[in-house]
Amino acid sequence: MQLDKSYAIAVKDIKEVFSSISIYGPMIGVPIFFSILLPFLTFYVTIYEGPSIAARITQLHFIPSGLTGLGSLSFMTYFSVSIMGPIFLTMPILTATVIAADSFAGEKERKTAEALLSTPIKTSELLYGKILASFIPTMILTMVVFGIYGVITDILSASAFKLAILPTLPWLMMIASSPLLAIAAIGVVVLISSHVKGVKESQQISTLLILPVLVMPFISVLGIAALTFYFFLYLIIFLAVLDTVIIYVGIKSFRKESII
Amino acid sequence: MSNEIEVKGATKLFDDTRAISNLNFSSVKGINIILGPNGAGKSTLLRCIDGLYKLDNGSVRVRGSDPYVDDKVRKEMSYLSDNYALYDYLDVKSNIIFFGRIYGMKDYEIMEKAKGILAELNATQYINSKIYALSRGTKQKISLCRALINDPQILLLDEPTAFLDANSSDSIRRIMQRFGKEKRTVILVTQKLDEVTRFNCRVSIINKGVIVKDSSTTGLYSTILKDSFVNIRLGKPVGHDIVKKTPGFISSNDKAATMLKIKVDSYKDINKAVEYLIGKNAFIISIDYIEPLIESLSW
Repeated sequence: MQLDKSYAIAVKDIKEVFSSISIYGPMIGVPIFFSILLPFLTFYVTIYEGPSIAARITQLHFIPSGLTGLGSLSFMTYFSVSIMGPIFLTMPILTATVIAADSFAGEKERKTAEALLSTPIKTSELLYGKILASFIPTMILTMVVFGIYGVITDILSASAFKLAILPTLPWLMMIASSPLLAIAAIGVVVLISSHVKGVKESQQISTLLILPVLVMPFISVLGIAALTFYFFLYLIIFLAVLDTVIIYVGIKSFRKESII
Repeated sequence: MSNEIEVKGATKLFDDTRAISNLNFSSVKGINIILGPNGAGKSTLLRCIDGLYKLDNGSVRVRGSDPYVDDKVRKEMSYLSDNYALYDYLDVKSNIIFFGRIYGMKDYEIMEKAKGILAELNATQYINSKIYALSRGTKQKISLCRALINDPQILLLDEPTAFLDANSSDSIRRIMQRFGKEKRTVILVTQKLDEVTRFNCRVSIINKGVIVKDSSTTGLYSTILKDSFVNIRLGKPVGHDIVKKTPGFISSNDKAATMLKIKVDSYKDINKAVEYLIGKNAFIISIDYIEPLIESLSW
């Protein structure tokens, strides 16, 4: 395998994505908007809405420890990590899905694959290049979004409690799981690329991956599981195995003629 | 090596449809034309030769290797279809550099080669233009530049002039002729008889997924011209009594005719008609045969 060919494909795909504002605009704009807005929401809920939420939550059978001190530093920490955190974990999935779907199904939809596949490129070089093209921008955006959210949250918590609350260990583990979520999303796109007709179909199927992530805040609030260091450790181990299986099956089942 | 491309008993199915069926074909050095109607299996055959499709049965060998398995075969082979297949949001330079890199070329080599090709195609001025901003003909010229960047020894062309104006089509034909003279292998698939008759080369007729006839451009005339019609345009009107005695006369545009239609069975009949009219002091401006539809010809 010649990595320079894969690199050329990755560069081309990234250039293509960032040459059209209709693709990269929403992909970058929406996460950054939320990374700025959500810390303020967290802060507002912590300081002003605590008592009324407390009245409702105390009616539940299971009350997570972070919710016992509403209006406190521990509540803000809990809300930032366990409620808002998983929302940001959807970013690597959504971003990777948008880029990967455009990269794989886009070649088919725009009928450019014919020229690409008539070059002396190997299937492995093609796939590696396209996976790289989806993974690199996704991880950069994810880190930027987590970074903005963390900094703003810390500024707000410091202003109210004289203490920066992030990063916590579960928060860092959550960030550590994001590359694996991105790889899972890309793997699903590879896996289904032989069966879809276009970009939209590919995106719609792949974004189903965000559903389990969006369940996380609920399982935390309902006390089913706490989003602790060990929760994310097990999640990372599970994703590593899942990614290996998805990528292996995706590469093995990929047929180049399927994207013509 | 005698034949760069050998296709033996090739069958390709799309669900229950046989695109090509037990097809045999060997290329010769120079231009090879594969002529056939819509749905005859021309494009499928070309894609199988390029290794884009896996055969259901039979074999394709390009320089002795299976192009579906051996990607290196495509290092000196290129494919160009009527679809320009370029990246619309990238500029011409980025498109060409990308494809050159895939062929393992350095950027300066790519640009040096591209400048030469674009100059030959009269398209140098578009080097920094985005593909979506170009006309259909210019896109196809850039696509041809992309296909020639690796200086291919085997060139596969699928109706490359289908949507082009006369000038752009001529650019492509000139390059084909040059490749033919250099004894490279060019395979052109087309459904246009008009396109075929512009070359003096080998012609294989494909129909219903099978090569049904192996002939040459000149040999093809005897088939095309059988029971076909020719329009003769005259410089000044000729009387109806002279015109109606023209060999093969069918009709004229007026009693004092400036255009007459004759029926011919071979190119010799055209000579007879022309000799007769010149003998009657008629001035001939042009002779156009009315091209029959390829579907109407029986092979």
